[in-house]
Amino acid sequence: MLEPVKLANFFIVFFSAASVILFGASYALLFAWSRVKSRPRLMMLAYAAYAGLFISVITLAFAANLFHNGFWTFIVSLMLIGYLAAPHAIWHLCVGTHADEHGDAQLKAPI
Amino acid sequence: MAAIGISTATMNGGQKLAMKYFTVAIALFGAQVLFGLLAGLQYLYPDFLYGILDFSINRMLHINAMVVWLLFGFIGSVYWMLEEEAGVPVVGIGLANLIFWIFTLAVVVVVLVFLLVQVGPGEQKSIWLITEGREYIEAPRWADIGIVVCVLAFFYNVSATFAKGKFTNIGGVLVMDLVALAGIYLAGMYYTPNISMDQHWWWWVIHLWVEATWEVLVGCLMAYGLIKTMGVRRKIVETWLYIEVALMFGSGILGLGHHYFWIGTPEYWFTIGGFFSALEPIPLVAMVVHAVFDAGHHKLKSTNNPALAWIIAQAFGNFFGAGVWGFMHTLPQINLYTHGTQWTASHGHLAFFGAYATMVIAFLYIALQKWRGDVYMSSNLVGAWKWKWAIFLLHAGMITMVMALLISGYEQSQIERAIEGSTWMGYFTAQEHRWFMQGMFWRQIGGWIFAAGFVLLAWDLLTIGKRETRPALQVQAE
Repeated sequence: MLEPVKLANFFIVFFSAASVILFGASYALLFAWSRVKSRPRLMMLAYAAYAGLFISVITLAFAANLFHNGFWTFIVSLMLIGYLAAPHAIWHLCVGTHADEHGDAQLKAPI
Repeated sequence: MAAIGISTATMNGGQKLAMKYFTVAIALFGAQVLFGLLAGLQYLYPDFLYGILDFSINRMLHINAMVVWLLFGFIGSVYWMLEEEAGVPVVGIGLANLIFWIFTLAVVVVVLVFLLVQVGPGEQKSIWLITEGREYIEAPRWADIGIVVCVLAFFYNVSATFAKGKFTNIGGVLVMDLVALAGIYLAGMYYTPNISMDQHWWWWVIHLWVEATWEVLVGCLMAYGLIKTMGVRRKIVETWLYIEVALMFGSGILGLGHHYFWIGTPEYWFTIGGFFSALEPIPLVAMVVHAVFDAGHHKLKSTNNPALAWIIAQAFGNFFGAGVWGFMHTLPQINLYTHGTQWTASHGHLAFFGAYATMVIAFLYIALQKWRGDVYMSSNLVGAWKWKWAIFLLHAGMITMVMALLISGYEQSQIERAIEGSTWMGYFTAQEHRWFMQGMFWRQIGGWIFAAGFVLLAWDLLTIGKRETRPALQVQAE
């Protein structure tokens, strides 16, 4: 069930895996910043970062031979859906945990 | 402890004890740096100290000093906040002081045995008195038992104090974590001649003890640190402590699987390790969102700028060291080639420094502020250049080491593992390669920069606030 990475793909795997985390953090950062500052333009950048994450995950999946097996294909889908949904879920938690201290309407904007 | 400009009058019993732990922690931090430099030099000059203090001994002392100084730092930090959190004096402070001296004496004896005796014949006596010979947890069996006894006594002090006083949420998480801190270490004492089984339990200590129980402990310290330095409201900090702990355990406990890929465990560990490794970045994403949320609603005013700077360094260090550097080689398809190379050392250096050393240093500054008589430590602090240069040099040195090790590890993964197929010959071919040696050279340069940063840090810790006459800035809790 495991197909090791080809030598020629080593750098692509390292680089794309690092990019997954960096784009993931950028997406989360821009997403939260856009909500905090009520700047919809930043949300566009956030989703651009997610697009970067999407490309990185797919690149990683090809280079690491993840699409050759059902389980690893599932992991790829999980990463794409999970990283997309995580900032939304965490934002809900932020609003919930801060709800009784900030009467701030902008924080309670529909997500 | 009395010295000019130092005031212990306002410190409680736990805090006085904490200062003792911090003193030993810094001394051991120095030892870690020293033996790291010696071990690094031996990569460049293999004959250096050969037969006197071999690489295996230097490396062992380098890593064990790190584990123990962080442990001393954590225990000190917990004693520092214990009475303030629980609202009553530490229960059994006499025992706590006794345990401190026993623990310190035991560490001194173990270090002396490592230095002077070094190795013994392959029999039970060596395991009990000299070294267990198991990577990272080489301490002899008597010292292993001693660590567990010390942690159990520490657990008694902490839980009994909270039980007598008030059980805050930070206290609750902390007490539960200390049960695991004592319990999981026992797994490292299980001896079997079956190497797969041995490694199976050994990883419980390395991954679960270090990467799970320490992470939760750091979460508790971070929560207290944010309340103290920024006045963040307790209810919010504590709620987030629960969320972070849930996310960390949800992904981290079975993330243990990524260490079980190549030790002879069943194949299902590929599935478990791969799945939970993919989930492990989620707590980091949560941390980013919450940090931005908070920054948007708090004016970043701090009562203690050096401590806050180190807390911020912790967030970044944890993200890059554990997150980026970890995920780069965590999937089994690539880990097959990187496992056990300098790539792992690169990840280990950044993750340990970023996630743990930074937090202990932040606590040292919190403690020193009070030790100096609650002096001013916000912007325009007298002599602030020292802590700023110390944080810069320590990070510059660490980043240089991490990048250099990364290059050496990359070369090893290609030549030793992929091309030569992990053969004995491949190991040496990779070690003699120009890229590997250049990486080792630059790692040593990074080590010297880091050592300079450590000297400056130690100097700053001894002098910070000495010439300050202004009282500490007050930040109102929200």
